[in-house]
Amino acid sequence: MQVGELLRSWKTWISLGLIIFLLLVPFLGIGGGYLQTLGFLTFLFVTLSTAWNILGGYTGQISFGHASFYGLGAYTTSILALRGINPLMTMPLAGVIAALFGLLWGYPCLRLRGQYFAIATIGVGEATRLLMLNLDDLIKDIPLLKDALQDGVLTGGATGLMLPTPEDIGSYAMAFYYGAMGMMFAGLVVSWWVKNSKFGLGLFAINMDIDAAETVGVNTVYYKNLALMLSGFMVGISGSIYAQYMFYIDPQTVFGFPMSIGMVLMPTIGGSGTLVGPILGAVVYIVVQDRILTANIEIGTFKLSLSTLHLLVYGGLLVVIVLFEPKGILGLQKRLTRRWAKRGVEVAPPRKMA
Amino acid sequence: MAVMIEGTEVSKYFGGLAAVHNVSFQVQEGEIFGLIGPNGAGKTTLFRCITGVYPATSGKIIYRGRDITKLLPHATCVLGITNTHQVVKPFLDMTVLDNVRVGAFFGRGWKQGEVKDATEEASRVLEFIGLAPRASFLARNLTLPDRKRLEVARALATRPELLLLDEVVAGLNPTETDMMIALIRQLRDNGITILMVEHVMRAVLGVSDRVMVLNFGEKIAEGTPKQVSTNPQVIEAYLGKSYAAAAKAEQQSDQQGS
Repeated sequence: MQVGELLRSWKTWISLGLIIFLLLVPFLGIGGGYLQTLGFLTFLFVTLSTAWNILGGYTGQISFGHASFYGLGAYTTSILALRGINPLMTMPLAGVIAALFGLLWGYPCLRLRGQYFAIATIGVGEATRLLMLNLDDLIKDIPLLKDALQDGVLTGGATGLMLPTPEDIGSYAMAFYYGAMGMMFAGLVVSWWVKNSKFGLGLFAINMDIDAAETVGVNTVYYKNLALMLSGFMVGISGSIYAQYMFYIDPQTVFGFPMSIGMVLMPTIGGSGTLVGPILGAVVYIVVQDRILTANIEIGTFKLSLSTLHLLVYGGLLVVIVLFEPKGILGLQKRLTRRWAKRGVEVAPPRKMA
Repeated sequence: MAVMIEGTEVSKYFGGLAAVHNVSFQVQEGEIFGLIGPNGAGKTTLFRCITGVYPATSGKIIYRGRDITKLLPHATCVLGITNTHQVVKPFLDMTVLDNVRVGAFFGRGWKQGEVKDATEEASRVLEFIGLAPRASFLARNLTLPDRKRLEVARALATRPELLLLDEVVAGLNPTETDMMIALIRQLRDNGITILMVEHVMRAVLGVSDRVMVLNFGEKIAEGTPKQVSTNPQVIEAYLGKSYAAAAKAEQQSDQQGS
């Protein structure tokens, strides 16, 4: 696209304005830092959503086990940080460990097709969570691994791990706001590159017809594993950032099934297999989650906290999307614009069939 | 002419069922080799053994002196063997051009550094096959004849030396059939060896240099189209014993007469 054309498009100005606004958020102090926290979480979830989309949207391999990558990233950073290593330095390692873990279960599981792969990933996610929950008990009597424990703790079981908080929490949080923003843009660039590269073309081919892809020379097993590892790497780094920002992780939060479901839901809401869909989906997801978790319904003396119902809401949402608009918000938008455009077409001559 | 691909006693069993049993064949470089037989004779299975979708249970397949029996389809594709599917398998949500680009990117040309630009190569193939006006269409909006041509175009973009065509004529009307046959001849003239499965006898007997006939997974005849079409065993497989007897009698009377 030409520069002049870019300058004339309203989309350019909207996105530019949005980016400037996001850059200024920490200084505006809206809602006493509430917006900054919400922004951080949005950046984090957009990254997760985009990462999942590379495997689930582009390649069409639906994974319900992505929380395992997230948790591994978070735990890698926390465990190393508690042993005196600068948490920032552990981030690449968190990504690499998640990616290697992806190869470990992807190599056997990616041979399965369609729903069978999805079912296997549920097993992987849950097995990883249970393993991390019980790891300390498992290794405490094994002489070789015993040394990994510190005061009898490696993963901390159900209690989780607590990281020391820095003194100047304000600037720390602000730094992470920008850090997460950078990570999100990096993730989007990766996603854009994949979409427009030879690699991405192979992934789309696998998504649409795996046998035909194999016939014309796409090494499907290799490409699927590569997609899973890339996806896992990005999710692992997100997990690492989450752990550093929250100072506290436990298996239920980072390895929990709701985390995996969230990563399936976000791209699905927005429109999976596209670049923009996962962003839209993540924004909707995080705002809805934020509203629901803090909302209460009060009728007289009867009081119902909606936070207990938020998984129910997501489950319902997923059913509605799959039934009525499988292509998500983007699909809906396309359908509406087509409908509006149609009003003018009636006067135009019918299109010549080629 | 050199032998391009040679199968030695190739068998494929699905459990106790012998889909292909001890079939040996040789395809010469630059010929059109037809493969016919009644439904369920094992033609497509043999194709899949060659490309590697199902590895053969026993036997050997040698392509240009190289054992390819255990190679997967993407590996045989890179060596120069590719096939079209009996039930066409376009990438439905891609444009026609992108469909062909997948072949150009991942096939043989790219890896050997011959194709500078896969898109250029894809456009050239589309031009050749006559789909260029539809290049920007989504594959799902194509008609069946166009989908069949796309299937061939995508296979061609991988720059094959041996092209396996699985019933590319089936379902086409007579005009389209003639166009497809002309295309197959043109491909052969461009140096591509062709191995084709076909049910439309007019097509396969008209275009093939040699034909092999399978029945219940076993080879029952091989030869020129004329030899094969008058072979009593072949007639029996297609039409039943009584026709075979009649054909035999006719053949004998022909020989006596001449």
